Amino acid sequence: MSELVAVPVLLPLGAAGLSMAFGRFADVQRWLGLLVLGVIVVDAAVLLYFADVHGPLVLHLGGWAAPVGIALVADRLAALLLLISVIVMFAVLLYSIGQRITDYGRGTASTTFHPIYLVLCSGVSLAYLTGDLFNLFVAFEIMLASSYVLITRRTTANRVRAGMTYTIVSLSSSVLFLTMIGLVYAATGTVNLADLALEMGELPPAPVRALALLMVIVFGVKSAMVPLHFWLPDSYPNAPAPITAIFAALLTKVGIYAMIRTQILVFEREPSWPLMLTLAMATMIVGALGALAQNDLNRMLSFLLVSHIGFMLFGLGVYDIAGLTGVILYIVHHITVQATLFLVSGLITRYTGTVALSRMGGLAKISPLVAVLFAVPALSLAGVPPFSGFVAKLALLRAGVGVGTVWAQVATAVVVLTSLLTLYAVARVWSRAFWGQVREPEGDPDPSDELVVGTGDTSRGMVHATGVLVLSTVLVAVLAGPLAEVSQRAATDLITGEAYRAAVLGGGSGG
Amino acid sequence: MTGAEPPEGWPNTGERTWFRSDAPAERWLLSGYSRDSRERTILLELIARVVFPTVLVFSLYLLFAGHYRSGGGFSGGLVAGQAFVLRYLAGGRLDDSSTVSMRPPVLIGTGLTIAVITGLVPVPFGGVVLESASFTFAVPVLGEIKIVSSLFLDVGVYLLIIGVVLDLLRTLGSGIEADIAEREGGRR
Amino acid sequence: MLALVVSHLLVALVLSLVSMRHSRAIYPVAALPPTAALCWALAHADSVLAGSPPVTRMNWSATLGLEFAFRLDTLALVMTLLVSGIGVLVLLYCRWYFGTPSGDAKRSASLLLAFAGVMFGLVLADDLLTLYVFWELTTICSFLLVGQSGVSRESRRASLQALLVTTLGGLVMLLGFIVLGESSGTYRISELAADPPDGAAVAVATGLILVGAFTKSAQVPFHNWLPAAMVAPTPISAYLHAASMVKAGVFLVARLTPVLSEVSYLPVVTAVFGLVTMFLGGWRALREHDLKLLLAYGTVSQLGFLMVLAGSGSYTGELALAGMLLAHGAFKATLFLVIGIVDHQTGTRDIRELSGLGRRMPWVTSVAVLAAMSMAGVPPTIGFVAKEAAFETYLGTGAVAAVEAGIVAGSVLTVAYTARLLFGCFASKRGAVPTEAHPVPAGMLLPPAVTALACLVLGVAYPLTDELAATYAERAAGSSGEYHLGLWHGFNQPLVFSAVTLFAGLTLAAHNARLNLLRSRLPRPLDAQRGYERIMGSLERLAVGVTGRVQVGSLPTYLGIILLAVLVVPGSVLLMRVTPIEQLRWWDNVLQLPLALVILVAAAGVVRATRRITAVLLVGVIGYGIGGMFIVGGGPDLALTQFLVETLTLIAFVLVLRRLPARFTETPSARRVRLPKVLVSLAGGVFVGFAALIFSSARDTPSRVSAEYLEHAEEGTSATNVVNAIIVDFRAFDTVGELSVLAVTATGVASLVLSSRSARRRKHARSDWRQLSATARPTAGEHGERGSA
Repeated sequence: MSELVAVPVLLPLGAAGLSMAFGRFADVQRWLGLLVLGVIVVDAAVLLYFADVHGPLVLHLGGWAAPVGIALVADRLAALLLLISVIVMFAVLLYSIGQRITDYGRGTASTTFHPIYLVLCSGVSLAYLTGDLFNLFVAFEIMLASSYVLITRRTTANRVRAGMTYTIVSLSSSVLFLTMIGLVYAATGTVNLADLALEMGELPPAPVRALALLMVIVFGVKSAMVPLHFWLPDSYPNAPAPITAIFAALLTKVGIYAMIRTQILVFEREPSWPLMLTLAMATMIVGALGALAQNDLNRMLSFLLVSHIGFMLFGLGVYDIAGLTGVILYIVHHITVQATLFLVSGLITRYTGTVALSRMGGLAKISPLVAVLFAVPALSLAGVPPFSGFVAKLALLRAGVGVGTVWAQVATAVVVLTSLLTLYAVARVWSRAFWGQVREPEGDPDPSDELVVGTGDTSRGMVHATGVLVLSTVLVAVLAGPLAEVSQRAATDLITGEAYRAAVLGGGSGG
Repeated sequence: MTGAEPPEGWPNTGERTWFRSDAPAERWLLSGYSRDSRERTILLELIARVVFPTVLVFSLYLLFAGHYRSGGGFSGGLVAGQAFVLRYLAGGRLDDSSTVSMRPPVLIGTGLTIAVITGLVPVPFGGVVLESASFTFAVPVLGEIKIVSSLFLDVGVYLLIIGVVLDLLRTLGSGIEADIAEREGGRR
Repeated sequence: MLALVVSHLLVALVLSLVSMRHSRAIYPVAALPPTAALCWALAHADSVLAGSPPVTRMNWSATLGLEFAFRLDTLALVMTLLVSGIGVLVLLYCRWYFGTPSGDAKRSASLLLAFAGVMFGLVLADDLLTLYVFWELTTICSFLLVGQSGVSRESRRASLQALLVTTLGGLVMLLGFIVLGESSGTYRISELAADPPDGAAVAVATGLILVGAFTKSAQVPFHNWLPAAMVAPTPISAYLHAASMVKAGVFLVARLTPVLSEVSYLPVVTAVFGLVTMFLGGWRALREHDLKLLLAYGTVSQLGFLMVLAGSGSYTGELALAGMLLAHGAFKATLFLVIGIVDHQTGTRDIRELSGLGRRMPWVTSVAVLAAMSMAGVPPTIGFVAKEAAFETYLGTGAVAAVEAGIVAGSVLTVAYTARLLFGCFASKRGAVPTEAHPVPAGMLLPPAVTALACLVLGVAYPLTDELAATYAERAAGSSGEYHLGLWHGFNQPLVFSAVTLFAGLTLAAHNARLNLLRSRLPRPLDAQRGYERIMGSLERLAVGVTGRVQVGSLPTYLGIILLAVLVVPGSVLLMRVTPIEQLRWWDNVLQLPLALVILVAAAGVVRATRRITAVLLVGVIGYGIGGMFIVGGGPDLALTQFLVETLTLIAFVLVLRRLPARFTETPSARRVRLPKVLVSLAGGVFVGFAALIFSSARDTPSRVSAEYLEHAEEGTSATNVVNAIIVDFRAFDTVGELSVLAVTATGVASLVLSSRSARRRKHARSDWRQLSATARPTAGEHGERGSA
């Protein structure tokens, strides 16, 4: 039973090797990718069910008990986030396949896209499932290496340069991460997360706080927290739509997840964390203001992404069960909604031929379907009821009001303000792109790269994939009841941490 | 046939071509053969030719000895890679099939697959993923031989590293040279 | 009840998908769900008035306190009459107003129906969060209805303004709801009303909730979105901005009056804002030439009046409110629909251009006159009845008398602009050419006629109205009173006030032109519209300014900021609170000294190097130096790997350097920031060094994990080389992971380097494919969402 925990990590790696070997056969690669992701979705659902009913499922790799060996842990939080992430990965893969077939025909395939995509999936899964800090670093490396390749392949020199910003900043943060692991090991003698919590208790308070803050900075770079967020709006918009969708949906959330897991599991704190609340407020405001200043649709969405990371940091800053429930709900909501918006943005650019909002117009007449596909996630992002954004935002607001300190109340007011600014940004896009006079699509300015614009061609795959994701966002809202309950149980587990530690350190090889 | 410059009609790009039967099969060992018109360092080439097999054997030793003394898959693979680097520095481009029989991506893929399979093999036998086991068996002349399953993981590492280094040479080495040649040749 | 609400939305969805051929039938079909809602509400009227309201509850998410709770009490019944009743009439009117079938018509039908459903849900809501859900949905529907297809700039701007102002209020209100709910422990309105909470939290919550109510009901200073929203077609204005949506704020205050009864400042605040709004609206209405704008400002004024009544909290006040709600809905809807008819048939809404319509369209005129009588408070209309009650409420001395004076003055303005409306629209003006008008279809006149009749009937049949209003007022005010709505209460002050109001208003209207001349000479006071535009403008400037300053685009800056963050945040903690390290050794082995020196000198050299190859070689020296440190420190495996990797890295660098210029290219600006870069990096390095020292000395005992590795290496893994045992056995998974990283990186490098050539190939491949597929496929079909509007 505990072997199921290794499936989301090892299966894609093996399949990536196979996919590389069958690089000349496009259909084999496509079916292999879709099949593997489908299997992982089922596996993640089983893991979630098991973790919710029986407690965390642990796999000790190599047969060595933690902290000597590496443990993979599937508790409620990890399984839930894994499930949502893989569903989104599946939909984005469908979209990419559809896009490829539209642009190049069914016969050709890129030899490297599918294997790298599968390795990315493996990295993301490992990041969620690992219970070991150094293994987390390896997971980030797997994820980031795949993302470097995906963001720089098959594009023009300018876009490669933008991708380089992303690559270099990520590499620097990885160096910092590695340094941090070294310091942690020097201070505590272990890198197992469950064990770290115990060892931290024996250190003097100053090094413990310094380590905690160092972890905040390291994961803050990965999750685009202000003032470490600059790389995101400069690099994400330049990649093709499905790549940006995957990055926006997954990579930053893995950073947030790592921050949550390390801070709560390893360190002790009282509710209402002023530093995190301040950082959250800054992130929300800077991101929202940045979005309002943009004329480029993708850049605007990137800034909104940064802004909504601030919401999750807010929930972390509240630091009690209600706050963490809100964070978990918000992550689930935001993964689906942000991916959908970037995919829709890809559809929009194909119809209008440009990413500049000032040059778009009348899309609602040209394609009412795209208008609906945009409206639903956009309203959800802005927190309009009855969509998922409202549910998650409500959880966060209740937590902020409930905890009662001055910092939290100020931050709650900022949450409300940012919600309004997000709605303004989204309404502006609607007003400029979907309303107004119909404009002729502009031609593709650079036919040599993978970004195709202005053709108006979309395949059923692309539209269906986007539709699937839009339906998922609606489902998240409809299933708010069960989701909120699971999130609350996960949050309780996190705060107390007993179940996790017992499963990893006490029980041997688990389930 | 040897000479200071290639005979007439000798093509500038790499492909199989005629040579006399007493010439060595390894084309790059031909003295006087120069694919690109650039300077040649005889000393470097000679040493490369002599040292190449030795270095490969040494890398294999590092691979097998890693579990008990200094070494291991990484060091072994890197040393083997250095051998190919030396050959590249001495002899020029390596991307024709006569010099390297396996394409680097295939090597990389093979190494990764071996590593993953080594991890998954214990599962049907009731073990945990990546569990190691050691097998001892007696061989008539050499006595008892002990093989640990993690050796196969090391082998996967070894192959992958060689593949990576070869890929590096192929892209950063030959790839860049081809770019330069195209630029200068003005061909598009 | 939820089913009724959802049926509105479902039918709206179906209507929007239905094809164009049946567009004539769309509006009558769309009128069906509101009719059903109305019938259902009337059917339950008895139980409502008896005091046992029907209730529905459905759970959405118990953890978050989200549930759908509906309750048909008297206030909801009154509002349902307005919302659903006027909704049916407006939808029927639309059939004639939107003449030619078009996408506009189809969209408006489904949106109007959806709006009707959402508004219906809002008035029924018994839970604060349910109410908020429907509140925001009305905002979205209004946004889409005002914007239509957004072809004109005014409609886009107006809809955006309405959206932003009402959402600002909505979000603040949500915060208020949450504060209220969290502090009292329940979100259900009926439970809160049964046991009103008090405390500082409730006072704060009330303020926040009032912001929401004021924005929705266009109170000063949030009132400007309402006149701006008049760009919408007239039936939409009639429904949303006269009869239903704008009432939501007043409705909210009325709904929460029993809940917030412990908050003492509620009546004061509502009275102040309400009166100011009443004056401002009426004052502006006297100046407008566009009939719709005149009515819009009139609506603003009436909403102020309603707000005063809603917050009063007394029995008579609530009685007046119920009456006034019905009256306002009836007469405002009539007048808007009539103006729609005038506009539709003559092509203009400007009173300077209209003349002689009274003679050409007598039926229309009589309908309008009936409604205007109600608006001005002429007996025997419901408007008069309600206004009498309002005057009765504020009989008294002191502050109450001030409020009374206020509403009397406001009513004077109301009469004035009513007269201006009637004369301006229908009178035959001296010296003006009579306006041309197409004949009015009977079906178009029917809805306003019904509402105008309602103005009369509700007033004449006042016992009925009184029963409805009294039931509501009793529950709202918590106590019963003696006053009853009626046409004749004897010669008392309210009657005198009504007469005075009528007389003064008519006089004012007669002298209006002169007044306007005077007005135009006065300086213009604060204008809310200008204020809104100024705020939006500064928001844009702030956004651009902040982003431009912050998002520099320079990679070294980003890296520098990250390093600084590391220095400042954890570093300051370390600096401030760390204890001095005991037993600090300078070196373990003398050989470490020259090695360290070599490394430091090489690092300094890298910074100063001008040629790329020099820098690369010096980096290699640093690497080899570190390898040397490993040897001296006793790690042969590490040293071996370090030397090998360093060599490989150097080779990779050298291979790439063939393509780069020999020297570093540095712009003068880059040279200036060189020193800060060096300092920051130096500080970063020093920080890491110190941190390593501090953290290693934080524990006295060696690592337990290392001890276990040494112990288990021999028997568990059959290895005598612990480092190798860790790599391929204990932590083999890390190795597998890093292998995949290497594989991916190699692939990526290959793809990058070899891509420029394939880019060209791809361009040709793609254009070939396009030509091929363009001739093979039809142009529409599976890809054709285009042209299907």
